[in-house]
Amino acid sequence: MKRWLTRWRLALHWPSIRGRGRTDAGPLLLTAAVIAAVALLAGAAPPLLRAAADNAVQDTVRRAGTDSNVLVHANWERDDGPTGGRVRMPRLAEDLDDFRAQATDALGPDLDAALLPPIAAVHGPILNLTDGSVPRTFQFTYLAGDAGGPDVAWLAGSPPGPTVSDEYVETPYDGPPWPVQVGLSEVDATALDLGPGDRIPVKDGRGRDRDVRISGIYRPADSTAPAWRLAPALLRPVPGADGAGTTRFAGLLSRESLPDARLAVDEDELRRTVQFAPEPEALTWDATAALASQVVKLKAASGSSIDRDQSLKWQSQLDTVLRDASTRNSAASAQAAVLLAGVLTATVLVLLLAADLLVRRRTPVLSAARQRGAALPDLGAELIIESTVVSVSAAAVGLALARAAAPGVSWTWAVPVVLAGAVAGPAFGTLAAARASRDRRQPANQAARRWIRATGELRRAAVEAAVLIAAVAAFVTLRQRGLLPLDSDGDTNELTGDLILPISALALGALVGALVLLRLLPLGARFALRQALRSRRPLAVFGAAQAATTAGRTLPLLVLVSTTALASFALILGATVTRGLADGAWSTVGADARLDVGADAEAATPALAERIAAAPGVEQVVVAQVTDSARVFSESTLLTPRLVVVDTAAFQRLLATTALPDAPALTRLTAPRPGTGDVPALVRSSDGALRTGMPLQLPRESGPAIRLAAVGTAPSVGGTDDVVIVDAAALADAGLPVAANTVWVTGPGAARAVSNTGVAADVVLRADVLRAQRVAPLTAGLVRLAWTAAAVLLALGLLGLTLAAAAGASQRWQTLTRLRTLGLRPRDARWVAAGELLPPVVVTAVCGPLLGALLARLTLGPLDLRLLTGQAADPAAVLPWWLLGLVSVALLAAAATVVPVESALRRRDRLSEVLRAGD
Amino acid sequence: MSSEPLLSVRGVHRRFRTGPTVVHALRGVSFDVAAGSMVALVGRSGSGKTTLLNVIGGLDRPDAGTVHVDGTDVTALDEDGLSRLRREKVSYVFQSFGLIPVLSAAENVAAPLRMARVAPIERERRVELLLELIGLADHARQRPAELSGGQQQRVAIARALAASPQLLLADEPTGQLDAETGLSVMALLRGIVESEGVTVLVSTHDAVMMALADRVIGIHDGHLDEQAAGPPYAPAPDAG
Repeated sequence: MKRWLTRWRLALHWPSIRGRGRTDAGPLLLTAAVIAAVALLAGAAPPLLRAAADNAVQDTVRRAGTDSNVLVHANWERDDGPTGGRVRMPRLAEDLDDFRAQATDALGPDLDAALLPPIAAVHGPILNLTDGSVPRTFQFTYLAGDAGGPDVAWLAGSPPGPTVSDEYVETPYDGPPWPVQVGLSEVDATALDLGPGDRIPVKDGRGRDRDVRISGIYRPADSTAPAWRLAPALLRPVPGADGAGTTRFAGLLSRESLPDARLAVDEDELRRTVQFAPEPEALTWDATAALASQVVKLKAASGSSIDRDQSLKWQSQLDTVLRDASTRNSAASAQAAVLLAGVLTATVLVLLLAADLLVRRRTPVLSAARQRGAALPDLGAELIIESTVVSVSAAAVGLALARAAAPGVSWTWAVPVVLAGAVAGPAFGTLAAARASRDRRQPANQAARRWIRATGELRRAAVEAAVLIAAVAAFVTLRQRGLLPLDSDGDTNELTGDLILPISALALGALVGALVLLRLLPLGARFALRQALRSRRPLAVFGAAQAATTAGRTLPLLVLVSTTALASFALILGATVTRGLADGAWSTVGADARLDVGADAEAATPALAERIAAAPGVEQVVVAQVTDSARVFSESTLLTPRLVVVDTAAFQRLLATTALPDAPALTRLTAPRPGTGDVPALVRSSDGALRTGMPLQLPRESGPAIRLAAVGTAPSVGGTDDVVIVDAAALADAGLPVAANTVWVTGPGAARAVSNTGVAADVVLRADVLRAQRVAPLTAGLVRLAWTAAAVLLALGLLGLTLAAAAGASQRWQTLTRLRTLGLRPRDARWVAAGELLPPVVVTAVCGPLLGALLARLTLGPLDLRLLTGQAADPAAVLPWWLLGLVSVALLAAAATVVPVESALRRRDRLSEVLRAGD
Repeated sequence: MSSEPLLSVRGVHRRFRTGPTVVHALRGVSFDVAAGSMVALVGRSGSGKTTLLNVIGGLDRPDAGTVHVDGTDVTALDEDGLSRLRREKVSYVFQSFGLIPVLSAAENVAAPLRMARVAPIERERRVELLLELIGLADHARQRPAELSGGQQQRVAIARALAASPQLLLADEPTGQLDAETGLSVMALLRGIVESEGVTVLVSTHDAVMMALADRVIGIHDGHLDEQAAGPPYAPAPDAG
């Protein structure tokens, strides 16, 4: 057994440890600064992202509106009377209260805590108002929360009361319509021109009259109260709720009139529901998986809606909304992890370079210590003590700063950096000390020299092959499985082990690129040397020789190329997300500004559009009728796409002159179609339900449905994927006049032109949408991280360049001094020095950004950026050439500065001292 | 040998300051070396041998005293003048060879000729001659890493001779070589003195080298301590 193995106690020489620390305080402090800075970034980024993810979940649920509500309904108890009629049930409101309490109990504690108090609602069937030429519908509704219904002030008449004083009444099935009293909002009452005591002229779907009477006119105490969201028609008429061109009105029931409402319609036509709106502030990313799972369980446990029993039947999109939010969070988390992995890889390489510099400075001291008899374990232990103190204390400072700057701190990502800082120096130093006690003579035997070279080559090839294999595996995994968690229930903010490989793909790709360049650079340098040897200029020869001599140095090129490529990738990522948000805003708004005209002002839309078109700075104005969830039949299937009825030519011009994608298929909407009477339509569908070539039918109130023929693919309108576009003139010819409710406006004056139109309309500005998307928690966080990572990586690259120059300085000036002993003039020496420093920098400046662009092309797809930008498809990589050029210029400028500065510093050194140091 | 010395060192002092300590490396060193001779500079480590060689070659400047090489006052030359001196009159051989690793043996030997902008044909002829002289004509295309230590030092000597210097300064040229290889290198230097007429000043610990020298100069604590070198070098009867 070797002697050192038998020793159980290390003989540490503390004065040496302190002395080395004092002598090399500069490099040690630099190492500490790098570790502290990266620990700060790596420690703060995950908690900041987690906070952004929580905000994003809350934001998503808020934006989802009623889609994220949890809804439960159950059939009523049958109301068959003893004499073959229907019995009036006076305690119907109390039954509803019991139903609400039962539903609340079924939620479970976690879900209950994440939801607002429930609101029970009873909805009557959609009835048709029979007094107008335009299709209008009516529905009576009862709302009751834990504290009763929403507060209203009765402006005229009184709250709805019971129709009969005798509560227990039985009425025959075929009797006259049972009267029911409702209240009308003042807006609805004005629109219908009805008042207290009037009967609302309505018929049911089978054309039978229904007896609905107005007891009073009310004004909501707080129109923003959550209960009203369940039935917005109780506040004002709602256009398009029951199909294109329709307007829905609603009447408010009371506890007293609810029993009459049941008798006023057929037995199974009054639906009772309880709705739970989520409380966004109570939601966190951590809780999303459990909550979504609970919602799914409730839905799975629901009885069938066709069963006549009174079991609870749950409906909700909350699980989907939460999963979508969680998926976006997972994507953002993975994207951030990819960036962090890149930063950490670059940091580890820079720390290796710093350790290399430190050990080069210390080699004489370590060699002397070794030659004086110091054991390698003792030297290694001394170096480890020093590096551990530096690394751990620097990381502690960085993490403490992270704790102060962020809502928490994550130490996981700092571990590789601390390890690299603690281990690299001692490893290199121990090897240097070991070499000092080895026979350094070049073997006289040529075969022995060849064997040494072959062994070195084999080692290097093995390492390169390992990196290459890991990179290929990482890219294959990334492209095949992506970065999202496979297990939907495991969709949390913690990165799972199976994600480590794909997350490392970018960093490994950068390393492979650097290794390829490391193989090519010596070949290029040797080629340049061969060319220089043919020239008569000695400087060219010595410069090229110096370049060829040092071209194989591994760490400097690895650091330069990796940091530059990764910084370029971060810039490309940031630019792609930024552009994606802009495209997403175009897609959402459809122009620079959009006016969503209220139902009561639709008639004024054409005149309004003409006024806007005449405003200064307005370039284009396009009018359309946009109906969300329009009812379109495909054979016997009801589809609810967004129906866009528009002047095709104007719409095409709008697309052609804006950042919106062109849609050449629009010309097919106005192309003559001999033979068929079908109206041509373009269709777009996320799930394939709408396909080119399929026949469609657009139902209307009066007359047969209009037949549509899907003749091509529609562009996305308003960011929606399920779209049907029809030419306005063609639809009018087919008998359905257009009621324009949307105005798209482009031009620098668009925003001013659509403001203060004097028409009841919602104004949506592209600039506002873009601003909102930019400050959205996840996108803002990721973009900020991308820019920060780019800056940190560029700084690491420049630091790497400086360290590489410093690490090679001693050897370089030895060579230059020897050349000066051959007669090289001092002023020529700097050109030879440039021969060493410039080639890797030039190669990096050219190839680093290109490698970054290649990595972006390979990885941006699987990164699922569309989940953040809101685009329909994965965005193509946007190359910010001026920023990439800036990275290259920064590197070249740094190299151009290093050479003269180093020359100026070295000029003071006597040649004899340089040569003596080398010997 | 001509009557005028090729190298004349007069009253050279050189002090180094290390913190508060002043080390007198050379204390009024004076001596002459005749052209075409081989002089061994001997002394213990730290005695001032390398400092003296550096001052003679213009790599270091003395605090006092003068150095004349072929009539040129080295201590009065500026950097360009020193560069010219090294291109034309003085060359060096170091312990650690100092070859350019990516250039072949022939290209390394040609380096000073390139520096002096010698025409390619003349350069190739000279390189060929020198490689023949050091016995490495067959290794002309090999790079330093493909040569043994002794071969590398031979190439370094050939490079030092390439520009036909008048004075060759060799600082422990056998320090990194084994005894046998060192002997062959020393024999080569001796042969070069004979064949090229170059004046060689070599610092060494090697007794064999001392035996090959025409003259041995000892340095002790910065003082010159010239001593007899035993019988002056006499070529073997069959030596060319």
